[in-house]
Amino acid sequence: MKNDRSRISVEFLGKRAATPLVLPAGIMGMTWSGMKYTWENGCGIITSKSLTMEPRKGHAGPVIAEFEGGMLNCMGLCNPGIEEGLAEVNEFRKFYEVPVIVSIFATTIDDFLTLTQKVNESRGDFVELNLSCPNVSDEYGLPLAASKIKVAEIVSAVKMVSKIPVIAKLSPNVSGLTEICTAAEAAGADALCLINTLGPGMLIDIDLQRSVLSNRTGGMSGPCVKPVALRAVFEAYSRVKIPIIGTGGVSNGRDAVEMLMAGASLVGVGSALYEGGIGIFEQINQDILTYMDQYGYGTITDIPRLEKM
Amino acid sequence: MLKRITLPVAEIVNENETIRTFYFEKKLGALPGQFIMLSDLVTGEKPFSISECESGYFGVTIKKLGTFTQALFEKKPGDLLSYRGAYGSSFSISGRNVLLVGGGYATPPLYYLSKELLKAGAELTVVNGARSKKELVFCERFSNLSLSYQRITDAGCLGRAGSSVDIAQVLLEENHYDMVYVSGPELMMRAMRNLLQNYPELNYEFLFERYMKCAIGICGNCTIDPLGIRLCVEGPVLARDKIVQLTEFGEYHRNAAGIKEYF
Ligand SMILES: Cc1cc2nc3c(=O)[nH]c(=O)nc-3n(C[C@H](O)[C@H](O)[C@H](O)COP(=O)(O)OP(=O)(O)OC[C@H]3O[C@@H](n4cnc5c(N)ncnc54)[C@H](O)[C@@H]3O)c2cc1C
Ligand SMILES: Cc1cc2nc3c(=O)[nH]c(=O)nc-3n(C[C@H](O)[C@H](O)[C@H](O)COP(=O)(O)O)c2cc1C
Ligand code: FES
Repeated sequence: MKNDRSRISVEFLGKRAATPLVLPAGIMGMTWSGMKYTWENGCGIITSKSLTMEPRKGHAGPVIAEFEGGMLNCMGLCNPGIEEGLAEVNEFRKFYEVPVIVSIFATTIDDFLTLTQKVNESRGDFVELNLSCPNVSDEYGLPLAASKIKVAEIVSAVKMVSKIPVIAKLSPNVSGLTEICTAAEAAGADALCLINTLGPGMLIDIDLQRSVLSNRTGGMSGPCVKPVALRAVFEAYSRVKIPIIGTGGVSNGRDAVEMLMAGASLVGVGSALYEGGIGIFEQINQDILTYMDQYGYGTITDIPRLEKM
Repeated sequence: MLKRITLPVAEIVNENETIRTFYFEKKLGALPGQFIMLSDLVTGEKPFSISECESGYFGVTIKKLGTFTQALFEKKPGDLLSYRGAYGSSFSISGRNVLLVGGGYATPPLYYLSKELLKAGAELTVVNGARSKKELVFCERFSNLSLSYQRITDAGCLGRAGSSVDIAQVLLEENHYDMVYVSGPELMMRAMRNLLQNYPELNYEFLFERYMKCAIGICGNCTIDPLGIRLCVEGPVLARDKIVQLTEFGEYHRNAAGIKEYF
């Protein structure tokens, strides 16, 4: 019974994920073989790197800075552009029956629509709107996710053209997150992904007397963001009916169960890949099963959620 | 958590016009084949293999190529640089009769490996190849170790013309080795893989380079097809069982944006 993986398999927007774990955008999803490698190691759904109209090399290094409790990154949305990026998704999806979320990033509705039309032609299963990258604000200003009006505009425009379900990926770095979530739902979003990186934050090298990150600031992820992610997921879950991918600081099975209890349908595991190694996904799957055995839950959906606010 | 360390450059040795070794006085505890991410926190941050590593110091040997390495070449002893690591997989220390084949600026990590292999009691033959005599590095260091050492250049300025693969071919025919280590330009390494197909029993390990950003296994920029393993974690040193499966080896690599560039 214990190792019966079907007990943790989850149905998500009409597709079946072998496990509840989602590889979030920007983690290992640059190449088709990277997607394959993480799936082989226990991820149920794979998200591509956020793809843009044109290729982007991203910021110069250092683009990662570690600290107690997590890391900052300022990758700067490096990606091969929508054409090459979808070629990687197609290459993976051609051989593997594994749901793929194609993450896209743009700053105008027109570009979001063009990107969505390209995703329509691909083998991607879902499209995720990255409305929340904190690392390109010097180029583009505040993330779109800061405004419920903009979020609603983009989501409803994309919904008009998208042939596949639409996920809105939102930022924790806003006031009135629940209103933004309900605005995304009202605009037709099929699911939410919460949270993108927190902050942004900054670290200083006192010997060289400079910021560690080349872009000075970067989005925070890893264990230290978990409490914020749990709160954001719980608040959203209390107010919306659409499913939520709970992402942020999940590093072990107990964290994953917390995320489910907060109201997430699926759990993103990103930065934990660093400390936990590639075995982290299977470890979390096993730990969820152990927890289910301990409390006598037959399938993962039996794990109770907290009472809504 | 691995911490970033900022410290003065202890010494800089000119290997030739475009290659220098930067020494730092710090116990790194790295294994042969591992690399550090080195930065000035201004121009960039890039991976470099450890070429020397003793209890009180370590060195990286760097070829001047683009913006970042040019900025490094402006540095003087005493200037501060910042590194994190060491990262990645390492060469196994195995084999009694071992062949090491290096090319260009990728040869120096084989020097650190040679020292560790000698400590373990192995018999070594080192082949060092480069385009020209000027580009051959670490000749004196290798000559001072008790091993058999052969140099060769494409131009033939040391008597014979050819590549390190040509020499390796002759050595493999005439000797019985139980391990081969290779570090060089990718097309040279591909030629070595093809050559080693004739020796199905022989184990080997190569040191790979792919575009690295995070170096901690999360960004996915350095994965290699079709395995999807990360060369910053499962690599940069790969063994025969993995190498024979690689379809992108010697064909293409992905740049900073993740776009394929063909060799
Ligand atoms: C594991 C590993 C070990 C390496 N060891 C050494 C070494 O011991 N000595 C040495 O001189 N060089 C080494 N390199 C290569 C070194 O990182 C590049 O030469 C250096 O990054 C060039 O930077 P640049 O800005 O001067 O040149 P650029 O003009 O930016 O690039 C020149 C070349 O270096 C490659 N390169 C640039 N940035 C990176 C990056 N972030 N990661 C990987 N490759 C890059 C490019 O593909 C290009 O071919 C190693 C690379 C890897 C991956
Ligand atoms: C290196 C790195 C790159 C990321 N790139 C993206 C991205 O391109 N698009 C996006 O929506 N989120 C991106 N994120 C955010 C993650 O998808 C995730 O929301 C966040 O890291 C929190 O989860 P974690 O703590 O499990 O890493 C990135 C995160 C990291 C660490
Ligand atoms: S450099 Fe980021 S995964 Fe290897």
